[in-house]
Amino acid sequence: MIRLATDVGGTFTDLIGYDEVTGQLFQAKVLTTAHDQSEGVLGAIAAASALGLDPARIGFLAHGGTTVINAITERKGVRTALVTTAGFRDILEIGRGNRPDLYNLRFRSPEPFVPRHLRFEVRERLDAKGGVVTPLVLEDLTDIAAACLREGVEAVGILFLHSYCNPAHERAAAAALAVLLPSVTVCASHEISREWREYERSNTVAMNAYVQPIIRRYFSRLKAALAEQGVDCPYYAMQSNGGIATFAQAIQRPLTLVESGPAGGVAGAARIGSELGQADVLYLDVGGTTAKCSLIRNGRPRLDTAYKMEHSRIAPGYPVQVPVVDIVEIGAGGGSIATIDARGALRVGPQSAGSQPGPACYGRGGMDPTVTDALLTIGVYDPAAFSGGTVPLDTGLARQAITRVAGPLGLTPEAAALAVLDVAVANMINALKLVTVQRGHDPRDAAFVVSGGMGPALGPRLGREMQARCTVIPPHPGIFSAWGMLAARPRADFRTTWFAPLDDSALAEAMAQFDVLRAEAVAHFGRGDRAAISFDLSVDARYRGQEHGVLCEVRPDDAVGSFAERFHGVHIQAYTFRLDGAPIEITGLHLEATLATETISLGRVDPAGRGLAASRKGKRAVWLRDQGWTTCVVHERALLPVAEPMPGPLLIEEPTATTLVLPRQVLTMTETGILLIREAD
Amino acid sequence: MATDPVTQEIIEGKLIATVDEMGIVMAKTSMSPVIYEVLDFACGILTPKGDLVAQMNGITLFTGTFGAQVKSLLRQFDGRIEPGDILLTNDPYAGGTHACDFAIVRPVFIDGSLTAIAINVAHYLDVGGAVPGSVPPNATSVFQEGLRLPGLKIVRGERLNEELIHIIRENVRLPDIAMGDLNAQIATVRIAEARIAEIVAKYGAATLSAAFHHILDSSERLARAAILALPDGDYTAHDVIDGDGVSDVAIVLTVTLRVLGDRLEADFTGCPPATDGPINCARGALQSAVKTVFKALVAPQAPSNDGWFRPLTVIAPDDTIFTARKPKPTGWYYEGSVHASELVWQALAALRPDRFSAGSYASLCATYISGTGMDGLPFIHVEPQHGGWGASADWDGTAGLIALTDGDTYNYSVEVIEAKFPLRVTRYGLNIEGGVGAGEYRGGYGLVREYAVLAPGCVVHASFGRTLTLPWGMAGGGPGSANAMERVLPDGRIESRGRFTGLQLDPGDRVRLVTGGGGGWGDPARRDPAAIQRDLRDGVLTAERAAREYPQAPTRDRP
Repeated sequence: MIRLATDVGGTFTDLIGYDEVTGQLFQAKVLTTAHDQSEGVLGAIAAASALGLDPARIGFLAHGGTTVINAITERKGVRTALVTTAGFRDILEIGRGNRPDLYNLRFRSPEPFVPRHLRFEVRERLDAKGGVVTPLVLEDLTDIAAACLREGVEAVGILFLHSYCNPAHERAAAAALAVLLPSVTVCASHEISREWREYERSNTVAMNAYVQPIIRRYFSRLKAALAEQGVDCPYYAMQSNGGIATFAQAIQRPLTLVESGPAGGVAGAARIGSELGQADVLYLDVGGTTAKCSLIRNGRPRLDTAYKMEHSRIAPGYPVQVPVVDIVEIGAGGGSIATIDARGALRVGPQSAGSQPGPACYGRGGMDPTVTDALLTIGVYDPAAFSGGTVPLDTGLARQAITRVAGPLGLTPEAAALAVLDVAVANMINALKLVTVQRGHDPRDAAFVVSGGMGPALGPRLGREMQARCTVIPPHPGIFSAWGMLAARPRADFRTTWFAPLDDSALAEAMAQFDVLRAEAVAHFGRGDRAAISFDLSVDARYRGQEHGVLCEVRPDDAVGSFAERFHGVHIQAYTFRLDGAPIEITGLHLEATLATETISLGRVDPAGRGLAASRKGKRAVWLRDQGWTTCVVHERALLPVAEPMPGPLLIEEPTATTLVLPRQVLTMTETGILLIREAD
Repeated sequence: MATDPVTQEIIEGKLIATVDEMGIVMAKTSMSPVIYEVLDFACGILTPKGDLVAQMNGITLFTGTFGAQVKSLLRQFDGRIEPGDILLTNDPYAGGTHACDFAIVRPVFIDGSLTAIAINVAHYLDVGGAVPGSVPPNATSVFQEGLRLPGLKIVRGERLNEELIHIIRENVRLPDIAMGDLNAQIATVRIAEARIAEIVAKYGAATLSAAFHHILDSSERLARAAILALPDGDYTAHDVIDGDGVSDVAIVLTVTLRVLGDRLEADFTGCPPATDGPINCARGALQSAVKTVFKALVAPQAPSNDGWFRPLTVIAPDDTIFTARKPKPTGWYYEGSVHASELVWQALAALRPDRFSAGSYASLCATYISGTGMDGLPFIHVEPQHGGWGASADWDGTAGLIALTDGDTYNYSVEVIEAKFPLRVTRYGLNIEGGVGAGEYRGGYGLVREYAVLAPGCVVHASFGRTLTLPWGMAGGGPGSANAMERVLPDGRIESRGRFTGLQLDPGDRVRLVTGGGGGWGDPARRDPAAIQRDLRDGVLTAERAAREYPQAPTRDRP
């Protein structure tokens, strides 16, 4: 059978297919069709068919796309209403009222996704333990439903206070609204999140409702089109938690698809780590406008417990309580523009030349010097072979652009290009440290996996500065998110707010709660009681008095002593200290459930025809620090010998990327085709 | 020596990453909601002489306070600072704010020489004194405002001074929380030291020092250019503080701003003497208040450092409401200092409409509710109130936003409050009854937060400003509406208060915390009728009010 993944990005739709019988690999890249992404997906399948892929043999399809995130960023979701507890209609608009842009005295809070006249109140009230203070007045819904019909509402979210611990009122209201509004999508907050904080949960349910009809229509179009092409297999959507879900599951919680592309890369990095026997992976993807980094611990992507959309240092953004892999994104990619700022410092990013006009060397009218121009100026890229020869580069334009910063810096174009890369690298290192050191981990313990079109050119340099154990360039680094989707397993995360001071009975009760969540997980996957599901149990725990805790593994045989010791250790790792006398509290439960399924196998490469002589395709001069122009041998990745140490400097070319191995580094290719770069000493 | 622009950028990036890291660790490990929810703390790195070069701010109250505070410690210890020391001060009269704010200062020695100074200032939930939370709204002396520790070595030779710890533990109401915060603060300055050592190891101490100078000098240059672009002249503004907590007498304020080429003078001469009540601020907090608005003027988004403030001179005689000295109380200093900010803001707004909005609800309206929780343990719930901001020259004001003195400050989640404290929130929504300043662009709405008390013997104290003097409108826009702390009596009558202490509440009692709407900008007659329609449809504007404030509003006869 063939495993197929399609990753719809802003500019391109990538396809990667792997024939498990023959080992043959199919790749295709077509332009994304913004009006209906399914057309691009079909186009990519057609392109791969022309290369010999038989759609009828596709036995697994994973799909990552930007339909959900686009509907949100372009505000093209459906007309949505919100029903809340009486007295709390404005929660969604008030948000948290914070002003992170401290000195902007014309600050604007994010606009709510539901305007005030579509926010309605219902009489009902629960207390913090879930007890009923005011019974639900179902009759209040009659007028609300009439107003929704009048206003042409297509989706309704429901947010009642404390529904995270008792969803009964939300459930009853949702059922009543479904009857009153049969053609309207109804979504209650507890179905998406069982965590407390009413604004965050209301925003989650409002945004989920806002995109739900969009994704339902999109998936039904895509399914019909795939069926027409003869693709008859289970369809999966890539989720933000690093796992996949069926289309039907994804339609219930479309917000879980917000970061599906980056999550695909993270899933791929975890797979590469397990292939190398490395449980801890530091992953960096360098794209056109941003770089994204993420840490994988014990083979599992970390989740961000406070994910916000459209968030920045100066914008509060929109918090959503769905499991999203913990990714730190910075404005440093191939298109990032270098400038001398008013204070005389050289800056790179966050402004980007994007794909239009793109870096100066693309010859599409861009004049500003970018990271790609700097790499071309120092000779890393072959101008004729960039992106498999599809984007011819103009070295003259790149040098000309770099000269714009070289002049004021008093540097030669080569030295200025290196300076641009120095600043870009420093920005990336700060972000990489944010995901490691600031989260209590040492980058030297992790394998450093680098992907993205620009990643391999900078990876070995970054790895050296991070003192990473080794830098890893995975297969297909330029379309690695799609590859990663083939490595992802069906996964669901169940997180609930749940309180107890730590003692033996609390641990026993927590285990009983986990049994309930386990049963939900079994039902979620729908493969019966004996399905091979692996469960990872952890709890949010903290010292009494703290607000923020740490996520700490809990084991069925834990006693207070064994759990507390593990918690102290995790706390020290995260925050540098432990408080031995302080009581410990549990504040939340987290069950991670993964269905054990086959994923892409990393086949052994065929050594036939490979070797240093075969892979060597020429020489190119590269401007290296302290050495100036230095002749580097260029190799073709597809023909590299297995397990043969190759000293740098070296250039390794492949259709989607070029790897620059520095002097005093050694490159080795594993028998599964992964490039490892280590320091020589 | 000078740094090259590349190394400069890289070192600046590392300094910012370092103060950010300090902030993350502080917010995540603190046990005090004032810190983890309100982010009432700040972290910074200074030169060995005490000039700030990098700062992480959760709020604006600490803008530019670090320099004065550290310089005062350097003077006090005059060469007697050793490697392995960590200093502590909370002295309001030596560059500080109020006794609740503990500054932890780590002189960073590398190879035996003082290379930088790391600081963390955090608001402690309680430091003793007359009332829980240590800030009685009717204090008349600093001695009612808790333990003062003006400049001492809390760590000597890397060893915690156990005697001082004992004094602190015995003089505060919630010693475990205080110790948790002290631990967190010390952890953050040690992190800063480690990161500075990494920079020095890579680039050398001389390069780091040159980078410090470049940060300060280049910021100064840009600030001067921004001032030079303003027309020279005197700009004045007036305002009123509604009572000091002891008396309700109006406190009339004035400022004259002088734009003198590339310098700016803010002259508070003519402001009244320090009051009996605790809304005074000392000179350090006045500086900070003016610097906050100055930063908004010259470079709102750039990282903060002392270079920006070199073209600024603040003039004020001693012993005024903005320059109080011992023993005048300063517990609610930000209720006074915010007016120093607003005076400067008001004087500048017409000069730079692209930088400033009209007047806001201004007062943090900080509310303390204390008592005994369901677990039998004492609790203190402290929360600032969010309110309406003024309109700008091109858009409506923002609703329910935190006051100028705070910043990345979250409102308290209703679900979290109800799980922790014997309180029930019965309403949290826009203050439509109070309304907003009308204008071509209208002000943003304030909020109403109503609590029912569930346990006997709860005590509330609060200090609500702008209860009479309304947020100012601009360019013909109307004034906003007032803040009020209201007690709803069992018979439905409402008692309205501003600054008060020791209000006893029992089950069945309700308090309503009301914040005002912001001022409008521009003539209301010029407001887009579609915007009026939208406000009517959203139910934030009543037809009666629309008819009163907007001549172009649709009447019922002409729908």
